[in-house]
Amino acid sequence: MKGKVKKTEKVANGMFMLQFEAPQGFNVRPGQFVSILCPDLTLRRPFSCADFEDGAVTVLFKLKGKGTSFLAGLQPGDEIDFVGPLGNGFDISDKHALVIGAGVGIAPVYFLNKFLKQSHFVGAFKSEDEVPKDFEPDEVIIGGTILDHLERLIAEHKPEIIHACGPSVVLRAITRCGVTSQIAMEKVMACGIGVCKGCVIKLNRGGVVQNATICHDGPVFDGGEVVWE
Amino acid sequence: MTVDLRVDLNGLTLQNPIIAASGTYGYDDEFSVFCDVNKLGAVVTKAITIEPRPGNEGARIFETCCGMINRIGLENMGITEFISSRTAKNGAAVQIVNIAGSTLDEYVQLAKICDGKVGAIELNLSCPNVAHGCLEFGTDEKALYEVVSAARAEFSGHITAKLTPNVTSIEKIAVAAQKAGANAVSAINTVKGLGIKINPDFTKEIVRGGLSGRAIKPVALGAVERIAQSVDIPVIGMGGIYTLDDVLEFFAVGADAVQIGTANFTHPDICEKLADDLAKFMEDNGFKTLDELKARLR
Repeated sequence: MKGKVKKTEKVANGMFMLQFEAPQGFNVRPGQFVSILCPDLTLRRPFSCADFEDGAVTVLFKLKGKGTSFLAGLQPGDEIDFVGPLGNGFDISDKHALVIGAGVGIAPVYFLNKFLKQSHFVGAFKSEDEVPKDFEPDEVIIGGTILDHLERLIAEHKPEIIHACGPSVVLRAITRCGVTSQIAMEKVMACGIGVCKGCVIKLNRGGVVQNATICHDGPVFDGGEVVWE
Repeated sequence: MTVDLRVDLNGLTLQNPIIAASGTYGYDDEFSVFCDVNKLGAVVTKAITIEPRPGNEGARIFETCCGMINRIGLENMGITEFISSRTAKNGAAVQIVNIAGSTLDEYVQLAKICDGKVGAIELNLSCPNVAHGCLEFGTDEKALYEVVSAARAEFSGHITAKLTPNVTSIEKIAVAAQKAGANAVSAINTVKGLGIKINPDFTKEIVRGGLSGRAIKPVALGAVERIAQSVDIPVIGMGGIYTLDDVLEFFAVGADAVQIGTANFTHPDICEKLADDLAKFMEDNGFKTLDELKARLR
């Protein structure tokens, strides 16, 4: 699938935003991702959608290597080759939700939060300059980890569900905090459609431990089912 | 002018020589979300074992310069579920069932179960990512001869022996496969390798597995040439094929058909595209049959 770049922008220290026009008829739900072809790389690069409006997809990424350098250097009008939407997405309900995004993990939950009626949206970052411009949450936590604030956030907002994305140490703690959770996970992926079994995690479903692919069965999982490595 | 892309693999005729490689294309028509799977010559299934397998723990993929290392470890649904739910779903594209055993007896059982149920099998004698079986059969002429002969005795359809490059002389292994009654050989499976990332805090991420992708094309071309010079049965070449030029290079060194693997991950419609590109190339250059093209290339 071809996309036409609308803009790329540095939105925080080391973090970029890419916005591109998708072909007509394209649609994506919060939690789903697109996989973008980067020249000379063996694998595509998967990115959760941070927004989708008027046919334009927005993704956020940290500048890490060749692939993300290529994306950061794209100019308006450039063509990109992407596959998507891939994966399952978050459940959208009327439940009172605590929405947590840590670092670049803010992307899918920012998109999700737009669809939620009752939510408190928290972003956790290492430093002030890492808070992405135009993606500000209701509450910003700087330094330490979200784990230092989890108890307070739960007491203050009494969520029926927590939606989260971020490093696995954060997600693991969230799944163990006693509140029902839905988490968006990440791993190196090859095929993007569940056939190569490269991005497998373990789930415990009704006492039976089984494999699930992040790319196809996820990337969003019920936190209580994830078996941590 | 219409061109005839059909290829006869010694008892199995494909509508064209473009085949999706095992482990990269699912069980049957998963890639139909990206392309018309029935425009391929064949689809080789993910490797299937007697029992369902969960695969390896830990990181399974490591991207390298011009390639990737995988150590999936044969995660699959097992032969029983596969036979009852996933055979004969595709139309014009032939389904070739890749089977992998831990013991000679498991290969025999798998061949027996497949007989009459599927038309073609590929014996995985070369998976580097499991503790027992597979590779052990693929690196020893005698062991390979035994396992191919045993499968031959149980399976009346088309047998391809998939060979590993992780040996001193792949052509000797191919000769053993031919003697044992394989209809064809395919090569190469992944090349044993190691990917390592040293983090700033000196912790290490290491993935030991099989290297595939563009990086292994020269290894594959060399292996295919040596095999083709040593056996009379068809040779199915694979390793780093991304473009029509790659396909022609494999034909030039003796491949009768080709498999596309890692390229499916970045270009999920590549198999269909290569079939189209090949037809157009033949038409543009006046080749009516694949044999004419191959003769010109060799």
